[in-house]
Order: sequence, then C-alpha cells, then structure tokens
Amino acid sequence: MDAKIDTTLDCKGLSCPMPMMKLAKTMKGMNSEEVLEMIGTDPGTKSDLPRWCDKTGNTLLDESELAGGVFRFLIKKK
Amino acid sequence: MSESNKETGVLGQLFQTFFAKHWPVWVGGIVLGTLNILLFAIKSPWGASGGINNWGENVYQLIGIFGLENAQPLSASFYGMLCLFLVIGSFIGALLSKEFALRIPPKGELIKGFIGGSLMALGATFGIGCTIGAFFSGMPAMSGGAIIFTIGLFIGVIVALKYLMWEMEKFPKFSSGKSYNFLAGTGKSGIWQKWAGWIVLIISFFIAYQYSDGNKIMSWFIIIGMLMGLISQRSRFCIVKAFRDPFMTGEAGGSVGVMAGLVVGLFGFTIIKYFGIGVGDIALRAREMTWVFPHFFFRAAIGGFIFGLGMTIAGGCAVGTLWRVGEGQVKLWASALGFLIISPISKLYIVPPIIKSLPQSWDFKSYLPDYLGYAGAFALVAFIILIWYVFVKWNEKTGKFSAY
Repeated sequence: MDAKIDTTLDCKGLSCPMPMMKLAKTMKGMNSEEVLEMIGTDPGTKSDLPRWCDKTGNTLLDESELAGGVFRFLIKKK
Repeated sequence: MSESNKETGVLGQLFQTFFAKHWPVWVGGIVLGTLNILLFAIKSPWGASGGINNWGENVYQLIGIFGLENAQPLSASFYGMLCLFLVIGSFIGALLSKEFALRIPPKGELIKGFIGGSLMALGATFGIGCTIGAFFSGMPAMSGGAIIFTIGLFIGVIVALKYLMWEMEKFPKFSSGKSYNFLAGTGKSGIWQKWAGWIVLIISFFIAYQYSDGNKIMSWFIIIGMLMGLISQRSRFCIVKAFRDPFMTGEAGGSVGVMAGLVVGLFGFTIIKYFGIGVGDIALRAREMTWVFPHFFFRAAIGGFIFGLGMTIAGGCAVGTLWRVGEGQVKLWASALGFLIISPISKLYIVPPIIKSLPQSWDFKSYLPDYLGYAGAFALVAFIILIWYVFVKWNEKTGKFSAY
C-alpha cells in the first residue's frame, strides 16, 4: 500500500516486548494523522499490533510480509 | 468439483484453522489448563524449571564437573523430556505455520537474554518453582506459597519493566544494531517448512510410541509436552506477558488467557485432590500436597521477585522461553542457556548456604484447604483470579497503570 510515511521504526531481530515498547514510545512522539512504518521479524507483533491499534484508536493501514521473514506495518496516528 | 477435491478442501480448511492465524490466548490457556490436569491425573502437574535444571545437570555431567555423575539422564527424566518436547512442539507449530526463522538479535538483546535466564534460574531454585510450577500449577494446587510467589512475580515484573523503559530511554543503542534472519518461510520457497513440520511431528509420535512398552507415563509426557509447545506457539501463551502488558501497553488479552488456564486447572486439580484420583500406592495426604512446596513465605516471595525480574528482562517466562526457542528466537536461546547453566550451580552452591542461615520454620508447606477447607480454598483462589480480571479489564479501559 502506498502512503506518505513520516517515520520508520526498524525492529528487525527484536522479540517481545521490545517491538511493542518501541512502537508505543515512537507513536507517542508523533503528531495526529502521521504515518509510521514499522518493520520487524517477531511473529508476535502480527497479533499484538492490531490489538494495540484497536485499543488505542490508531489505524492499522496495512500489514504485509516481505522477503526473508520481515513483517511491515503502516499505522496512522489517531 | 470432484469428491476428492472437496475432501482436500475440508482438510485444508482444518489446517488453516490451526496454522493460518494465531489463536486467541484464552483458547491456548483453556487447552493448556486441560493438559495440565491430564499431567496431574497420570502423574504430577506441569513444571518447567525442574526440566531445564535436568538439562543443565546433564551438560555438567558430560563435561565432568560439579560431581553430577549421577544426574538423571534426560531420556529418563519426565520433566526434562516434557521441556524438550515442548520446544519440539513449538518447532512443529512454527514450521507448519511457516513462522520458523533463526532470528539473531542485536548483541545487547543476547546479553539481556542470558542475564534474564540466569536470574530465572536463581529465582526458581531459591523459590522452588517457576511461573509454571509455582504459579500456573501452584495456584490451582491451592498452595499458599504460590500466592506469595505470585506477589513476588508481580513486584519483580514491575521493577524490571521500569528498568527496560529506562534503558530504552537512556541507552536506545543497547537494543539496536545488527540483526540477522535466516531460514524464514516467506513465500512459496518456504513450503519446506510445512514438510519439515510434518516429518518432525511423525518422528515425535514415533519416539513417544517407543516408550509405550515400558514407560507409558513417559509416552504421554512426550505427547502432552509436544502439544503444549505447539499450543503455546500458536496462541503466544506467555506468563510474563500476562503480568507485564497491563503495566506496559495496558493490553489485558494475555492476562485473561492465563486466567482461563488457571480457572480450568483449579477445577481439575481440586477434583483430583479432593477425590484422591491417581493416588495409587502413595498416601492420600501426599497426593493432596502435590505441588505445595516448602517455600512459604520468604523463599516464595524472594524467589518470585527474582524470577519476575529475570523473565521480564529475558522477554519470556519459563514456558515462554522454551516455545520461543522452538520458534528460532535466538535471544531466548541465550535465556535458556543462562537458565540451564546457572540452575544446577545455584541449586548446589548458592541456595543451600542461604537456606541454612534461615529459620527452619520458613520452609513451610502452606496448603490452603488445611485452613479454609476445600470450598474456602477454592473460593479464595477463584476470588484472587476474579480480582485480577477486574483489575486488568478496568486498567485496559482507563489506562491508569499502563505506561503507554
């Protein structure tokens, strides 16, 4: 999905809880309507991130799996 | 569409149900709670630290140090094999869902994994139990020490979470840097993972069958261990998550999943203890006291606290570490390594002198039905779980205690 990306967060190689901690902290410092691109390799993020977006009201614009077991998420801040 | 194609479709859908998406944690909790009851029915409840300690003893025996020549061989240790097949079960789950990969994190994360695992070993040997034996099994076993261990865990988790947040703020580079990902199952080229998963599954059942002539209990420990690993991997069942997430992101799903397993276990364990099911040749009292450890209250409190610190820093409790090992998370390999290296050393050389200096009355087995009766003890444990549930759901809504 094409969207203007404001910030990219690289969580490759990190396992729970670091990706979600880094995501929450990064999003805290962003402005409303800005888009974060997060890339990571922890399969747990696939379930944690959508639940967190539901809870916080942020929008998960897209999730995809890239080559080499890398997951990519686009999240728009509330 | 031909009949055979329809058949394939149905099986394919069944496969997708199990391996296309992660399961809700509460589903994993209920099934794990049920398997825990089965373990208790055939021998004794689920535990993890004893099994990892057995791995460590076998390593030291191989090297020939610490006088562990008489260590129980892994192949004859129920809990050593249960833990081993938990790892293998998770490996199978990760392969069949094409989620296996060798994920090598930045150096700092490896160090944290090793330190976290070592702390878990210290906590488990001092507190006589881990998040499984002294919590997930200990609470349904109606052990007073388990309640104290749980309070210790909570405090340890909160302290370590504060540390992680401080580290992320002050030393962000510690958890950054080069990482590597090998053997991922992405795309069509990853189909080998599914084939490998089926092969490992068949081999595991074959090994379980090999024990069925002379050691039926081991056969079932192998099968149940494998199922526990697979279910934990698919549902992301992790006790550190249950304790930590309400204070981190406010998420309550992991906590509710663990509670579901506790409630199922509470019903099953109470029935087994009350009716003396599986008592065999041992005294009824011994059956009642199963998984009620002599750690009330000091050892449970301190052990729980240290274990809570360790599991939060490692990012996986005892079971969370084991199933992540099977999924290829190398940080948790470091954690398991720290656990198995330190556990026998702690058990032999660190814990005994400390215990000798403590009053003997502190090695007390507190069995709640002795004071409250079965109904009262059941109600107390159920009430604690209910209070926890109300807290995490309220906190999820209000965010009062969550950091983000």
